[in-house]
Amino acid sequence: MQLFTQFFLPALWAFLACVGFGLVYNIQGIGILICGGGGALGWLVFLATQVWLDGDILPAFLAAVSIALYSELMARLRHCPVTGYLQVALLPLVPGAGIYYSMRYCVEGWTQMFVSTLLHTLGMAASLSVGAMLTSSILRALLPRFRARGH
Amino acid sequence: MDYDMLLNMGTELGYRLMSSGAEIYRVEESVLRLLTAYGLEPQVFAIPNCLIVSVTTPEGHPITQMRRIPAHGTDIELLERCNDLCRRLCREPLPLDQAKTLVDGLGNGYRRYSSRTVILGYVMAPAFFAPLFGGGLRDGICAGLCGLAVGLALLYGRRLIGSNSFLRTIVCSALASLLALLLVSLGLGVNLEAITIGTLMVLVPGMALTNAMREIMAGDVFSGVSRTAEAILIAAAIALGTTIALALGR
Repeated sequence: MQLFTQFFLPALWAFLACVGFGLVYNIQGIGILICGGGGALGWLVFLATQVWLDGDILPAFLAAVSIALYSELMARLRHCPVTGYLQVALLPLVPGAGIYYSMRYCVEGWTQMFVSTLLHTLGMAASLSVGAMLTSSILRALLPRFRARGH
Repeated sequence: MDYDMLLNMGTELGYRLMSSGAEIYRVEESVLRLLTAYGLEPQVFAIPNCLIVSVTTPEGHPITQMRRIPAHGTDIELLERCNDLCRRLCREPLPLDQAKTLVDGLGNGYRRYSSRTVILGYVMAPAFFAPLFGGGLRDGICAGLCGLAVGLALLYGRRLIGSNSFLRTIVCSALASLLALLLVSLGLGVNLEAITIGTLMVLVPGMALTNAMREIMAGDVFSGVSRTAEAILIAAAIALGTTIALALGR
C-alpha cells in the first residue's frame, strides 16, 4: 500500500501531466502516450533513486539518463525526431518550482535565499541536460548504423 | 539548376523547423543536408530568432538569404513532418519544383488539436502537477481551474493582454495566483504553494532553461546564452505577477 502511494500514484500523475503538455505541444497519435510513459518512467526513477541517494541532483541526472534512453529508443522505433519525447518527458523534473522560488526571493529582497535557490536550480537544469545529452551522444556513437536515420 | 529556388526551399524548410520549436543543431543540420543532397556546399547559421543560409553556385556566384524567426511555440507534429520530408528529400532528391511545392505545403493541412483540446491540456497539466508538488485531490482540482483560466487567457485574451511575452506572462501569473488565493480562501483548496506552482508550470521557463543548457553543451553557446536570458526574463515576469497578486490579496 505504501509502495502504491509513494511510487505508483506520483508516476500516474506524471503520466497524465505529460499527456496534458502533449496536447499543448500538438503531439499527435500514439506519440502522446509515449511522452506520458517517458514522464512516468523518469519520475519513478527520480523517486526510487532518492530513497538511496541524498539530495536531488544525482537522482535527477539518473532520471534524465533513463528518459533519454527511453526516448531515443522510441524515436528509433517510430523514425521520429527525439525532441518531442525528450522535452515533454523531462517536464515533471524540470526545475520550474526552483525558478519560481528563486525569483520570488529575489523580488522580496532575500538575497541569500535567492542565490542559493538559483544555484540549486541551475544545478538541476545542468544535471538534466548533461544526463540527456550524454546518453544521446553515447547511444549515437554506439549505434552508428542509426546515425543517418536519426538526424 | 535554379539556385535561387533551391536556396528559397532550404531557407523555407529551416524556417518551418525553427518555428516548430526544433533545436538549433537540428535546424542547421537539416538545411545543410538538404542543400548538400542537391549538390551544393551551403553555409548555415542559426540563432533563436534568425536563420542565415548562404550558397555559392558552381559559377562562383554567392547568394545568401536571411529569415527572421518570430516568437513561436512548440508544435511537434509540424516538426515531425518537416523532419520526415527532409529525410525523404535527402534520400532521393525529387525534381526541384516538386520538392519546392512539398516544402511550401508543410505549414498547412496537417493534424492539429482544436482549441478546446488545447485548453483541456492546459487544465490537465496543472491539475496533475499539483499532486506531484505535494498537493491533495482538492488542490489538483483548484490547479485545474487556475490552468483553465491561464489557458483561456493565453488562447483568447491575446487582444487584451497584447503579444509581448513579458507582459503576457505577468498577467497570466497574476491571474493564476489571484485565483489560487481566492480558491484557498473559499476553502476549496488547501495547499496554496502546490496550487500556484502546479499552475505556473505551464508558464515557467523550466524547459527553456534545460534546453538552453543542452544547446550550450551542444556547442551553440550563442543561442544557449540568449535562451538563458529569455528564461530569466520570463521567470522575473512570473515573480512580478505573483507578487502583485499576493499584494492585492493581502
